[in-house]
Amino acid sequence: MIKLIKFCFLFFASIVYAEPFESTYEPLPAENVLIRNANIYDGEGNEFLQTDLLIKDRQIIALGKDLPVSDDFLIIDATNKWVTPGIIDIHSHMGVYPAPGVSTSADGNEATSPVTADVWAEHSIWVQDPQYALALKGGVTAFHILPGSANLIGGRGVTVKNLQRNTINSMKFPDAPHSLKMACGENPKRVYGNRQQAPSTRMGNAAGYRKSWIQAEAYLSRLNEYEAKSDEAKELAYKPQRDLEMDTLAGVLRGDILVHNHCYRAEEMATMINIAKEFNYKITAFHHGVEAYKIADLLAENNICGALWADWWGFKHEAYDMVQANIAIVDQALGGKGCAIVHSDDAIGIQHLNQEASKALAAGLRAGFNISKARAMNWITSNPAKAAGIYDQTGSLKVGKNADVVIWSKNPFSVYALVEKVFIDGATAFDRSANFQPASDFDVGIISPGKNRIEE
Amino acid sequence: MINCSKNTLYTFIILFNSFIYAESVLIQNVTIYDGKINNPYVGNVLIENNKISRISTSSIRGDKVIDATGKILTPGIIATDTDIGIVEIGALSVTRDDSSSLYKIGFSIFDAFNPNSVLIPWNRSNGITSALTLPQNTDSPIGGLGSFFTLDSNIEITGMKDNVMIGRVGGSGAESRAETFAIMEDLLEFASSLNSREMESYKDIANLISDSPIAETMDLQPRDIKALYKLVNDNLPLIITANRASDLLKLIEIKTKYDLNLIIMGAQEAGLVADQIAENNIPLIINPINNIPESFDELAANIELAASLEKQGITLMFNAPRSHNYHWIRHGAGVAVANGMSYQGAIKALTSSPVEVFNLGNRGEIAQGKIADLIIWDSDPLEPSSMPEKMFINGEDIDLTSRMTRLTDRYIKNQEKPNGYRN
Repeated sequence: MIKLIKFCFLFFASIVYAEPFESTYEPLPAENVLIRNANIYDGEGNEFLQTDLLIKDRQIIALGKDLPVSDDFLIIDATNKWVTPGIIDIHSHMGVYPAPGVSTSADGNEATSPVTADVWAEHSIWVQDPQYALALKGGVTAFHILPGSANLIGGRGVTVKNLQRNTINSMKFPDAPHSLKMACGENPKRVYGNRQQAPSTRMGNAAGYRKSWIQAEAYLSRLNEYEAKSDEAKELAYKPQRDLEMDTLAGVLRGDILVHNHCYRAEEMATMINIAKEFNYKITAFHHGVEAYKIADLLAENNICGALWADWWGFKHEAYDMVQANIAIVDQALGGKGCAIVHSDDAIGIQHLNQEASKALAAGLRAGFNISKARAMNWITSNPAKAAGIYDQTGSLKVGKNADVVIWSKNPFSVYALVEKVFIDGATAFDRSANFQPASDFDVGIISPGKNRIEE
Repeated sequence: MINCSKNTLYTFIILFNSFIYAESVLIQNVTIYDGKINNPYVGNVLIENNKISRISTSSIRGDKVIDATGKILTPGIIATDTDIGIVEIGALSVTRDDSSSLYKIGFSIFDAFNPNSVLIPWNRSNGITSALTLPQNTDSPIGGLGSFFTLDSNIEITGMKDNVMIGRVGGSGAESRAETFAIMEDLLEFASSLNSREMESYKDIANLISDSPIAETMDLQPRDIKALYKLVNDNLPLIITANRASDLLKLIEIKTKYDLNLIIMGAQEAGLVADQIAENNIPLIINPINNIPESFDELAANIELAASLEKQGITLMFNAPRSHNYHWIRHGAGVAVANGMSYQGAIKALTSSPVEVFNLGNRGEIAQGKIADLIIWDSDPLEPSSMPEKMFINGEDIDLTSRMTRLTDRYIKNQEKPNGYRN
């Protein structure tokens, strides 16, 4: 699927306007590292005990027993420790709803119109949000920032490296596709219904999406028509005027932009699948999906991931039918063909995705499924990487991928496991024993002038 | 001591109900964490009627024997900051009974408690056996009465009515915190001037209100005045939500001046004034997993807070966001231990500490003569992945089925039937 998206991207690159806001990400200085004698979950469903992991030139070079290295490698003894790929959160509002949660920085919902496909989450990001560093200590190396769910179509999401920088572009994950946030159910109909405007019902929601896609189809066909003309004919014709909203929606119809759809109820997810078929686009993941277990096979048949919580529920009526086995049931659909993701949507939860996965796994085992810890690790590594369109670069410890690696003090499915070291692109981003950790400008001198916010 | 006699009455109801269950139950060969800070030990625990009648490391006889070899026994977990029974669905106001537009201080949620709420079996199946249910904060900096409930699902509610008052101070868009403290002190000054004779007639209370500028301005009702009187004269536990270090110190000053039974909740910056909190014996309710500087009052939020406060000898209890999942306090306790708190200290914070601080009766620890609120765990209760295997509340063997386990079964069993016709 990623290959197909890349192909589409290249194919249409000629007619797409030059991508603005390109990533200017530069990794931290890195060494070549041998992590020796570690217990490893590789993010591909495998567990390797007492195995070495070799990092060279910022990439995973080898996994194996007793790997030989030259003198210039930093050797880390990881005996009795665990190693995993960097944790990835597919649903975060860090930066757009930063801490402190004050109104002047609450920039995640452009709740002024039910369709705001023209807005981009990255233009709201506050790079000094102190929450990134906290997530880093939970092993998070990349995360996907979405607009909120007030709107039917809320705008573009962006995937970033978990390295705080002074500009947004320098945090953007290179070559990661944009996403489109869509939202079902109570939120849009409440926000706009309260203002006596559409949508005020779920049927109003559905009409809203379809109207937008009809416009996007027309826009895309005008573009394609123009691009199909000969150079001479182009000179005689007017180039269709660029439209920010339609740019985004047409990007979805072309397959360049991945749809991430906030949706709780089973029947609404099924309706959204119908709409996607009507307009020939793909839904990458349903987010929150408290009722995903009721239609797990349908999600698997359509290659749609469920980005879910272990047990949040009850804050809304559409979140009332929670079961703790939701994630496991989605994972096990069609004999294990499902795509389950543990997401946070929360600055505390993002620090403990391993523990949320542990809770979801335990619920699955209690429900009678046979799921390994190694497979459950995919829920917070390779599966979110796939859904963010960055699986070719990260999300597992495959040879050739970016060296985004976490060393844990214990098995990461335990609450007592602490993150000891985090590597992003082979560079140490966090080291507990060396007290090496980032602090944002917000943290500096804010309680006591001589100290950082959480300095000991 | 009106409060005490009520407590005794409710305890009596519990005792009376329990006579139906005369068969004794022996939990054999189980690893006991007693809820105090004692080291765990392997022993046998006998439940008779509603009590723990014997504990021994040598063998005991019981009518019914549960072999719990390799398993863990803890007291039932007590959640101290919940909306269990008064909020069914957060965003649906028709299911919310946690606020009052009229009463600012004497608002009690007791009569709204719904023993059939789906939150009760859910939280119980995750290890919560009893809870303090608190209203939302009112417009007054002190006001609103919480009650203690046993999560046994009996339609005849067992608990302690109005055994705690709440309050709050801190940054808000509405008023300076200096004004909040001033109102708090004005109210406490007024409360200190009340005497029992005046509480007997509505007419007297009405006169008191019209004579008191603060009571009149705040439009207080006789119910509010009675609650204020109870706060000061019954030494009612007062839970104030506050976070900023300077607010915590001011609260300590007010506690001392008015001799209040103060508990501080939130307390994100308690680490900065831990000495003063310890010296004044102020118990805290904190969420150990919350290290987010969510407001400018919480800048010192730190994942190691629980560990650092424990070292100062401060009595700790845990809370979680006020929505549906109060078992998250177990997860918070686990995170506290991962970040330096002692294991037994964390278990104590979930069990015997709330009982000591809020006078919740003869429960919260595993000792002879205590009420048998007990949980058998198949694995470490502080791992969020663990669930209770067996539970006793008031000595009664509790079914751990919840709406969630029913829905799970409905979608993994009998799949050949249309879902409406499954069990």
